[in-house]
Parts: sequence; C-alpha cells; structure tokens
Amino acid sequence: MNKAGKALIELRQMDELADMESPVHSIHALIKLIVTITYIVLVVSFHKYDFTGLLIMVIYPLFLFNLSGVPIKTCFYKLRLIIPLVCMVGVFNPIFDREVLVHVGNVGISGGVISMITLMMKGVFSLMASFLLISTTKIDALCAGLRMVKCPSMLVTLTLLTYRYISVLTEEVAIMSDAYHLRAPGQKGVHYKAWGSFLGQLLLRSMDRADELYNSMQLRGFAGEFYYADRKRIGVKDIIYLIVWVGIFFFFRYVNVIGLIGNMIF
Amino acid sequence: MIEFKNISFSYDKDTPVLKGISFTINDGESVGLIGANGAGKSTIMKIMLGLLAPSEGEVLVDGVLVEKTSLSDVRRKLGFVLQDSDNQLFMPTVFEDMMFAPLNYKMTKEEAENKVDEVLESLDLMYLKNRYNHRISGGEKRMAAIATILAMEPEAILMDEPTTALDPVNRRIVINTINKLPQLKLILDMILDTCERVILLSKGGIVADGRTEDVLTDKETLEANRMELPLCLQGYKGKVCF
Amino acid sequence: MHMADALLSPPVAIVMDCATASMLALSVVKLRKDDSEQRLPTMAVTAALVFAGQMINYSIPGTGSSGHLCGGMLLSALLGPYAGFLSMSVILAIQCLFFADGGLMALGANIWNMAFYGCFVGYFLIWRPIMRRQSNSKGGVRGKIILASILGCVITLQMGAFSVCVETTASGISDLPFGGFLALMQPIHLAIGLIEGGITAAVLTFVYQARPELVKDAQIMDGGSKSKHALRNTLIVLGVAAGVVAGGFSLLASSKPDGLEWSLFGNAEDGYSENMGLDEEKYGVDSGMKDNAEAVQDKTSFLPDYGFKGNEENPAGTMVSGLVGAAIVAAAVVGLCFLGGFFRKRKAHAKTE
Repeated sequence: MNKAGKALIELRQMDELADMESPVHSIHALIKLIVTITYIVLVVSFHKYDFTGLLIMVIYPLFLFNLSGVPIKTCFYKLRLIIPLVCMVGVFNPIFDREVLVHVGNVGISGGVISMITLMMKGVFSLMASFLLISTTKIDALCAGLRMVKCPSMLVTLTLLTYRYISVLTEEVAIMSDAYHLRAPGQKGVHYKAWGSFLGQLLLRSMDRADELYNSMQLRGFAGEFYYADRKRIGVKDIIYLIVWVGIFFFFRYVNVIGLIGNMIF
Repeated sequence: MIEFKNISFSYDKDTPVLKGISFTINDGESVGLIGANGAGKSTIMKIMLGLLAPSEGEVLVDGVLVEKTSLSDVRRKLGFVLQDSDNQLFMPTVFEDMMFAPLNYKMTKEEAENKVDEVLESLDLMYLKNRYNHRISGGEKRMAAIATILAMEPEAILMDEPTTALDPVNRRIVINTINKLPQLKLILDMILDTCERVILLSKGGIVADGRTEDVLTDKETLEANRMELPLCLQGYKGKVCF
Repeated sequence: MHMADALLSPPVAIVMDCATASMLALSVVKLRKDDSEQRLPTMAVTAALVFAGQMINYSIPGTGSSGHLCGGMLLSALLGPYAGFLSMSVILAIQCLFFADGGLMALGANIWNMAFYGCFVGYFLIWRPIMRRQSNSKGGVRGKIILASILGCVITLQMGAFSVCVETTASGISDLPFGGFLALMQPIHLAIGLIEGGITAAVLTFVYQARPELVKDAQIMDGGSKSKHALRNTLIVLGVAAGVVAGGFSLLASSKPDGLEWSLFGNAEDGYSENMGLDEEKYGVDSGMKDNAEAVQDKTSFLPDYGFKGNEENPAGTMVSGLVGAAIVAAAVVGLCFLGGFFRKRKAHAKTE
C-alpha cells in the first residue's frame, strides 16, 4: 500500500477511536484540551535530571488508557515520527555530560544518561497525552470548544473544512499513486519529469472542486458568516474532571512522591 | 414555476454555449434534461441558480427575475443536489451539514434541529445523523446530500445526475426517494420512471421537448444528437428480448 | 523538522505559541478586512491538497532515495502569505493531532519554523521581490518561478532548521553544543530544501502554464509597479514578528541558559547522588542564597524550572513582562494599522482598481 493509503487508514482509525463511548469520551472537549495542555506543560517542565519525579506522571495516561478503552498499541505506533529528532538531540547527552550522579551498586550512572532517559520519557508522556485527547474527542467537538474560547471562526471553519477534504484528496492521491506505479514498475517514487504534473493536475482539479464547494455553500444561503450547531455545554462533571486532574498534576509536580517513598524505605 | 425566456450565454464571444433557449417548468412537474457532453446542461443549471449571468434573455423563478438583488430569495426556493456529494457535504458530520442551510436562513437552533430530524425520519436515515461525512459509503453520501437539500425546504429540486456511480440497490433507493418528493424536479440525466417530461439539448439549443415516451422512442432525433435509445428499448445484443 | 513537546521547555514553547498566535491573529484580521471569507473553500481545499501532496514520494534523480513536499512556499505562492500561513498552520495542527507529528505544546514553534518562514519570509522577501522583476515573456516568468521556488524553499528551510536549534538550545534540553547542533541540522535541511524547491518549482510552473491566474504575482509585467502598501505590509509582518520573538527571547536570555544550569548542578553533585529528585529544592536551601519570599515564589511559579534558586532575578516576573511586552508591541502595531485607516484605504484602493 502507498503512503497515502496508510495515512487514510490512520485517519480512519483515529475517527473510530473518537467515536467510541466511554466516560472519557463524554467529557467536554474544551476541558480535555485544558487538562492535556496542563499535563504536557508540567511534564516538560520537570528538571532534566528529575527522573524519579517525572515517573509518577505516567499515572494520567495509564489511567486514561484504561478508562477510555483506547488501545495503547496504536499510540506507540505513532511514536515513530516524533522520536527520531528527540533521540538525535538526546543521544548526545551521555557523551557531553559524563559526571556520575547516581551509583547503582558499583555502576555509576552519568547525568547524561539520566537526562537522556528523562527527555525520552517526556517525549513519550506528552505524546500519549495528546494522543489521548484526540482519540477520545471528535474534531468537531474540539472545534466547538475552541469557538467557546473565542478562537476566530475563520480559523475554526478552515480547520473543519480542511479536515473534511483531507480524506477526499488523500484518497485521490492514493488512487493516482497506484495508477502511476502500475505503469512504472520498479520506480520508487514519481519520476522528476512528472514532478510538476502529478501534483499539478490534482491541484487544477482541486481548484475546480473548491469552486463547486463554494457554489454549494452559496446555494445554501452562505453569506460569509458560519453558523454552528453547537450543542454541548460544560457541566458539573466536566468541572470536577478538570479540578481533580489539574490538582493531581500540580501535586505530583511539586511533591516528589516516589522520592519520598524511597526516602522512607532507605 | 421556472421560466427561461430566450436565454443565450457564452464564455467568450466566438463560442456560444446556449443559443436562445426558452422553456417553462410548472409546479410539481418532473423533468429530465438530457444531451451530449458539452450540450449546455450544466450551464442551464448554473444560470437558473444565478451562478452565471446570461448574456441575453431572462430567467424567472416563481415569478421573480433572477438577478443579483433577488439571488438569496431565488436560491432559497431551489435546492441543488450536486453530482459529487463530497462537494455538497462539506461539514464534518451529516447533522452539521444539514444544519448549515437552515441556520443560514435564520432558523433558530431548535427549529433547525427539528427540521433535520423530520427529514431524516422521512428518509429513514436517522442512523446517519452523527456519522462523519467522510466515513459513509457512496450511496449513503448521495442520500445524505439529498437530505441536506431537503432540510432547507426548497420548492423545487434540481439534481445533477443523482444516480451515477451507485449500485442497483442504492440506485433504486435514490429513485424511490426522488419519486416520493412532491416538489418540482429537474434532473440532469434521464430516469425513466421518474421523469414525465424530457428536454433534449444539443449544441446549445433545444431539439426536443415533450413527454418521455415520445422523446425517448424517437431513435432518429436521439442519434442525430449524439444520444441513443434507452438500453431497455435496444434489447440484448440488438435483439428485443421480452 | 516537527518538534516534540519534549524538545522545548515551557517558556520557550509558550513564547513561540504567543508569537504564532499573534501572526495567526494578524492574518485573520488581514483576511477579514479583504472579505476573504469566500476564499475559505479554496484555502481549505488547497491545504488538504498540500497535506495529500506530502504523501507522494518523489524519486530524486541520480540517487536511490525519494523526497517529499512540505508546502509552505507552495501555499504562499498559490494563496498569498496570509491565507497561506493560515492553511499551513491548519495542516500542521492536524498533523500534530491525528498523526502525532509534532507536539501539542510545541505547535506554536512548529508553525513558526515551518509556516512563518515559508509563508511570510518566503513571500515578502523572496517570492514577491523576484516575481516583480521585469520580464516580458512567459519563459521569463517561468524562470522567475523556478528561481523563487528553489531559493525560497532553501532559505526558509534553513531558517526553520536554525530556529529548531535556537529553540532547543534555549530550552536547555540538549547538552549538545549549539554549534554542533547546527552542523547536524543545516546540511540535512539544505538537501531537503533543494528537493522541496525542485518539487515546488515543478508544480508551480505546471500550474502557471495551465492556469496562470492561480499563481500569485505571475503576471507578465513591464515595470516593477510596487505599491507603497507592499512595503508597508512587509514591514508590519516583520515588525510584529520581530517584536514578539524578541520580547519572548529577551526574557529567556535573562533567565537560565543551559550552561549555567548545568554548572550549578555540577557543583551539587554530592547532594544529588544521595537523593536525586528532591535535590532541586534541597540544593537551593543548601546554597543559602535564597530567601523565604523567593521560596514561596518558586513554589507557586508556574514554570518552576526557571524559577531557579540562587538566581537574583525573579524569572517568572521576567517571563510575564516579556510576554506582556510582546503582546503590547503586537497590539500597538495592529492598533496603529486601524488608526491609520490603513485597512480601509487599502480596501477602497482595491475597489477603485
């Protein structure tokens, strides 16, 4: 299968996840967005050697994966895109930072190794959080939430329209790629002589599509202003969800629970 | 209700697309508009909807002249179902798409939602309500596109090839739905058991306009204008087989 | 070039988010003034097209590998800088959410690195100046398109890669020295930029031949008819951008650069090995350089890593003042535009044309 086909499957998978029902899915999108961003900001703000403090933050994604029924496997598949740059940056830490910070038995662990691990954990945790957000929230609900905080309607509408047409056009690219490769066996990609016309043809057709789309909007009374059929309001349950999670995050950020427990034992 | 008076149209002066076309379609009529590629079918639709302005002549919809100032009134009365449902359904979900027109026409959210439910009930499409437009099948898309137009309560429905690229079952569902609609119907394409009247277009002019059984059995006129007899009249491999 | 959340510290990420948000706001205001709501379908479909276009593998002549498109320059050449910037931002947001390509908190930085340079710098400083040069044949215009596309992609990608290095280093994430990081990033992105430029040029010349009106500034013209607004637009965009980023980074410069942080901890090694994790607090107390007020401030400060013990200044305060400063600069520029009737005049100007 070609890249476009894979992207379509990935998109469908996300849609299906967001379409499931669970307590997490039923929380208001805006609340989930705020909780997610708070989580990410706090996770990333941990000190680069504070490996033990950071570890406890795994509670949020783990709990949510369980509660929502979203498979954790899908999430790890997505790590492949983001991890290379993180690794590239992190992998130098053990080389440049060799001062030994911790001894486990006779083996000394340098600051670089710890900061590399911390960095990767931050990467994985924050990815899990944003993955959980979108796999439990439909994009239209998220956009409705953004409108509630006065995000310009032009931006929100553009996002919705773009999302809608991404699957249409990606499908066309998938078909075109198949058609191309059926007639060009053994070629890895589009030959440079067809660089312009391959996407160019699709671009011209897409411009016609945009015209027709605009017509179809006009014919249904569109006069420059988008009206939305937002239905959901923030309820008590949502507020409780927000307060509890944000409270937990800040508690774990400032109280090193794992460290305290460790100190009690030793 | 729809009246074309001597309409001509051209994109540039040398190549006229429509040459002095006149016809009238009355309330409740069901008309098929046929013709070879490039005969001017879509142009007629676009002029009717005010998307293109005719170079000559005038169009009346429900007695109102189609011009810039009357566009929103005219368009409110005409529901246009596009050939490519993907272009019709541009909102993320079927529900939001159906709400689009009613909200634009200043219905309150409650009224609009009631209207949407009513249309979905009548078409047996309640199960589509909260589905994503990019996740439903081709047949469902076509039905959703019709539903989205019906939600704006048009007095006339224009359809651009509503049954192309559908399998026989979906085709039948769409045709049955169309047959049940009480409004005036103008269909680009020919659906034998829907259209009582057919207008045959060729090279920008009307060559035949009459009852379906008359126009579609006139082999000579059809073939002279790059059309052919309906397949059921041609029989199997040229032989009539009943 | 998509950055994960882990590569940025919260202050850097938030500065970039604010910078990006102000550019988004500027673009929305600009487009609204031009009554561009009707262009939304075109913007959306073009954005979707660029997204889909990124899925195409282009084989690179002479090598066995393949490259792909990113799209900032392509979008600004088709839609103009403001609409292009919005569209590219939406693409990046969707990639971030649905494909986990880039972090949520880092979205601002990612939009900045990939969309801002490609759309604003690419358009105002590369595309338009080149396209406005005199040429009176179709071939000449084609040559300009190719030159502008390749130069635009290479330069804007270099700027993007440079920004990644600056942002990561300012975040104190990596122990890799800035120079080493640059040496890694810039050459890779030079190659990527050349390929991207080639693809962009190929697509745009194809479109230019089929439908020249779709390509911005591609009319054949005899003289460089530069309106005064053009210059002003450029200055406004760059002014706002510079203001916001400078405002943001000035505070970061005054807070903890990586090296200092590191050396502080180098000293604290003994304490650290005993009970790491709690050490950050403890170190501050041990050093005796912190008074109680600061302790409270640190505990309540939102971004505690930067409320570093022993620092004379109050970084949280700098942070806020930096952001406020940046916001004021942005607001002032936008406000001045309104006061000057600049937008109205422009609209009137467009109508009389």
